[in-house]
Amino acid sequence: MRIRLSHLTIALILGASVASAAHADQLSDIKKKGELVCGVLGTDEPNSFVDPKTREIVGYEVDLCNDIAQKIGVKPVLKQIAVAARIPELQQGRVDILTASLTHNKEREGLIDFSLSTFITGQRVLVKKSSGITDVAQLAGKKVLTVKGGTQEPNLKRAVPTADVVTYETTVQAFLGLQQGKGVGYVDDEASLLNNYAKLGAAQKDYLVLPQSLSTEALAIGIRKGEPEIKTLVDGVLRDLEKSGDAQKLFVKWYGPNSNLKFQTRTFKIDSDKIEG
Amino acid sequence: MQFDLSLILSGKYHDWLLSGLGVSLALTGITLLLALPLAIAIALCRLAPIKPLNWLALAYVETIRNIPLLAHLLFWYFGAPELLPDNIKEWLYSGNIEAISAVAGLTFYTAAYMSEDIRSGIRGIPVQQIEAARAIGFGFMATMRLVILPQALRITIPPLISQTLNLWKNTSIATVIGVAELMYQAQKVETDSFRSTEAFAFATASYLGVSLVITLLAALYHHRYPVRNV
Repeated sequence: MRIRLSHLTIALILGASVASAAHADQLSDIKKKGELVCGVLGTDEPNSFVDPKTREIVGYEVDLCNDIAQKIGVKPVLKQIAVAARIPELQQGRVDILTASLTHNKEREGLIDFSLSTFITGQRVLVKKSSGITDVAQLAGKKVLTVKGGTQEPNLKRAVPTADVVTYETTVQAFLGLQQGKGVGYVDDEASLLNNYAKLGAAQKDYLVLPQSLSTEALAIGIRKGEPEIKTLVDGVLRDLEKSGDAQKLFVKWYGPNSNLKFQTRTFKIDSDKIEG
Repeated sequence: MQFDLSLILSGKYHDWLLSGLGVSLALTGITLLLALPLAIAIALCRLAPIKPLNWLALAYVETIRNIPLLAHLLFWYFGAPELLPDNIKEWLYSGNIEAISAVAGLTFYTAAYMSEDIRSGIRGIPVQQIEAARAIGFGFMATMRLVILPQALRITIPPLISQTLNLWKNTSIATVIGVAELMYQAQKVETDSFRSTEAFAFATASYLGVSLVITLLAALYHHRYPVRNV
């Protein structure tokens, strides 16, 4: 049974994702108000997180947001949003673009547009050595912790259908849950997971990052559907960053050997908005 | 996007949402059973003729009522169990620690509010009845049990039902500590299918429906047992 509901009914339903508002031209709106509102997580080092010294939100994606705002000639404004609220916030126009550790996948292509991929990563699992788990398949029937609203849970369920998944509001809570022993594993994007692993310090010897990736993920900037001007502009900024070598510098600054994440090399280029299907 | 009613009437998502509704109802039921006796005990402590007990109960009520429920649940999940000895902690964590923490947090929170309602109910009974009971030789507990509480609880039922309504809605906050209740499952359906409208329509209708049933019970009770002038 399919029912088409009136606008009135839809408006009554709390938290509903309403179809994108019909703006004539988002780019001129942004120029008019003089600011570009970027949706960020603010809890996900190194993409966007609070710098403990300055108490401000900084990160790889914050720098990208700043570059895009600079190109348009407006002030960048960061708006902190929850993982699960990202796409609705963009669709309802409360943020202009999403620089929020957003995975580009086929399911989401129907809802929003994506820029060139800004980071290619996988999702990994961290376990305590005492659990005796050395392989993703051994998570079957075990309690595994991760964050709500992202692709972590669906990807884990695809890899290990019988895993007992418990989800929280932030990845930090999932990681804390693992440390406290509330589950045997913690699933996250590789970058966040390695960053949290690095924070363990001496306790690292008690933990193990499982060797297999659950998936390959491309992170990209989220753009509202039907705004080709914004997409062209964002992609242009990203291409310029790649060409000038600034993209490499940004990677080294936030992900490189001297960062908390200690990635040794950059294995991708910002040159495509296509993903494997 | 069309509203696809079939999505929430059958199939995988329907099952998820229904199991969430079941967990929410169970949370409400178990919490209510635990919170009521605790609330009566706290109300009696506040009125007992022993000063330190009065202060203790007052401190409990004010502490609990002035901290948001979200903070309570995070404390009972991430904080409190960590203070336990290792072997008890491991035993707890091997079970459903999410639900246990949620019931603990909700029980202590709800009991604080209910105890205040019960205390008002007790104070609503003329003090002469207490004096009369004491005069014929009843102690404090016997006075309460045989004379005061049977009348007080009767006039306290409407506000207690209203607290139950709050409790029912408050269970939704347990989603933050990973309890697979109704809001948790609705968010899971949203993540899996991007059908936010359908998922939250189900949740909204469920919360509203159960709330209306509780309200109806309150109205029926009021009709059947009107408050008597005492």
